[in-house]
Amino acid sequence: MFQSVRLSMAWLHTWFGLVLGFVLMVVFFFGALSVFDREIDRWAVPQSRFEPQPMPSFDMVLRPVFESMQPTREAIADMAPRVNGPMPQTYTAIDRMGAYTTHRDPVLELFIGFDVPGAKDPEEALWAYRTIDPRTGASLPDDRLKIGSEFFYPLHYSLNLHWRDAGTWIVGAAAMAMLAALVSGVVMHRKIFREFFTFRPDKTIQRSVLDLHNLTGVVALPFHFFFAFTGLVIFAGIYFPVGHTQLDPLHQLSERLEAAETGLPHERAGVPAPIASVDAMVAEAQRRWHARGMAGEVGFLTLQHVGDANGYVSVYRAGTDRIALTGEGIHFKASTGELLREDPAPGAVGSVNEFLTGLHLQHFRHWLLRWLYVLGGLTGCVCIATGFIFFVEKRKRQHAKQGIQGARLVDALAVTTVTGMVVATLCLLIANKLLPDALPGGWPPRGDLERYAFWGGWLLAFVHALLRSAPVAAGRLSPAWAEQCRAIALLAPLAVLLNWIMTGDHLLRTLAAHYWPVAGLDLCLLASAALALLAARRLKRRASAAPALDTVKTGVTHA
Amino acid sequence: MRITGHHPLWHPLWHPVLRIAAAVLGGYAFTWGFIAFGMASLFALGMPFHDAEHLTAIIGVAVYLALLLWAFAARSLVRVWIVAAGGAGLMAGAASLIQNHLT
Repeated sequence: MFQSVRLSMAWLHTWFGLVLGFVLMVVFFFGALSVFDREIDRWAVPQSRFEPQPMPSFDMVLRPVFESMQPTREAIADMAPRVNGPMPQTYTAIDRMGAYTTHRDPVLELFIGFDVPGAKDPEEALWAYRTIDPRTGASLPDDRLKIGSEFFYPLHYSLNLHWRDAGTWIVGAAAMAMLAALVSGVVMHRKIFREFFTFRPDKTIQRSVLDLHNLTGVVALPFHFFFAFTGLVIFAGIYFPVGHTQLDPLHQLSERLEAAETGLPHERAGVPAPIASVDAMVAEAQRRWHARGMAGEVGFLTLQHVGDANGYVSVYRAGTDRIALTGEGIHFKASTGELLREDPAPGAVGSVNEFLTGLHLQHFRHWLLRWLYVLGGLTGCVCIATGFIFFVEKRKRQHAKQGIQGARLVDALAVTTVTGMVVATLCLLIANKLLPDALPGGWPPRGDLERYAFWGGWLLAFVHALLRSAPVAAGRLSPAWAEQCRAIALLAPLAVLLNWIMTGDHLLRTLAAHYWPVAGLDLCLLASAALALLAARRLKRRASAAPALDTVKTGVTHA
Repeated sequence: MRITGHHPLWHPLWHPVLRIAAAVLGGYAFTWGFIAFGMASLFALGMPFHDAEHLTAIIGVAVYLALLLWAFAARSLVRVWIVAAGGAGLMAGAASLIQNHLT
């Protein structure tokens, strides 16, 4: 098919990069935003604007909340097809419950998994969630969308397309394409070291855009490779569910062996039992961490087989000062508080896995690294976006002569995924502030409306990009780029203004109070507006100065 | 399967389709076989199940990438299909045999 390895790699780079590049833009951009997902939640939900809190008392605060939790009607209806017989309306048998928190969480999300009689897969639980203010135990309104952790973050790895994990599979394919594009990109370009230092912004668009593509690709290559790679490792259980399909019998065997070895019961005993003071168990766990010279906060607290004689409580140390999310688990018998087991230090494989996934998810405290992640993610966006523009610039004059619409369509899609994605994001932030606290009866939940604002804004940006794409078919620049840049320059300060009007937290106040979660997002929005305005101006200058046809000779083989 | 002397984009459509299928589907099948065989044999050798799962997943991603690239770089598409499908079948089969032996 190809005359040389280099040509085959060029073909792979161009076409896999183009098709999956649109997905990669979403993954990189919302991955960059997810680095500050919990901070964006503070901006979105004003009731949660206070300082991060440690895990509260189970006996005093969490227990009454857990006892009041029930699955939503939607969750019950969602599980109904996977259950033999009718679904009960209330649930009492709790398989598992708990809470996870980090050094960046003021509010706490509790989860609870109920046993459902007649479930086709007896291991499947019916989940319910509740977000509380850990200082008082008061519940937060659950129709509020936590834009960072409930929308941007899942968008990053699943495109929020949850039907049969389709979105996660598409993102996985895109990550694989990213790895292939990085390797093939290196094979294509022999002068890789020189490209490190080459950027000629004053040359033609095609030349300078390729310089920027190579520069961002090479500079951030280790970062991009690491994140695409570890992203695939994190979701390997979905992509290759070997242990739940072909090797399920082996998995079951290992779980029985493990339960025998650890002394942590795998099944319920069927005998009811009360729960002793969990606070005492937490205090004992913290005493043991302290004795090991690693005093710390609780990051993860779970109860298994709740209300059963086999029930046990697991207390995990927060990984604030290390790469692993949590660790040093200590397990107690729920009915007596008797120590059952202290997890041993992870082995070599476990440590490598914790390092790879922990470095990707970054729940530890390191603000400089956090910002470098944002920078790396945005560099990836620049790399992909310049790839699109190069693709279009290289072909649009040829396509214009031949009357082909290919370059025009790719350019419209590029506008949609570059500036359009930012427009959609801003629509979501604006809707979050414009929607009233209490919606009239019969309206969809507030969080759903916020989601519609995002997708609606994006759809509009796509339609706009298509409608304004005609000049590309004539070999010229699409005005949609500059127009959407101006839309960003308008919408971003509007979001900042609305945050001020609706919550009273203007920049002077948040900066004076050093409340960075809100001040940081407001500042980033203003910076985005400034950048968009600058880009719109430069695009205008380009458009008025551009010659109708310029002949370009590049020395690089690039399909 | 070796065709030379034309611009790559001028080939009939089925050729890149077979190439992509070999890379994506063949690569997936081969990686599945690799992970299954790795998990079963490492577990048989005494490694904890989830450690075996993590280790083979980490190496598996690299294996998939290597096969994906090779499927495009290789001259013979037939050879790619033989290695991918044959390797997948052999390794997955061996994994099931080990499992049957242990359970």
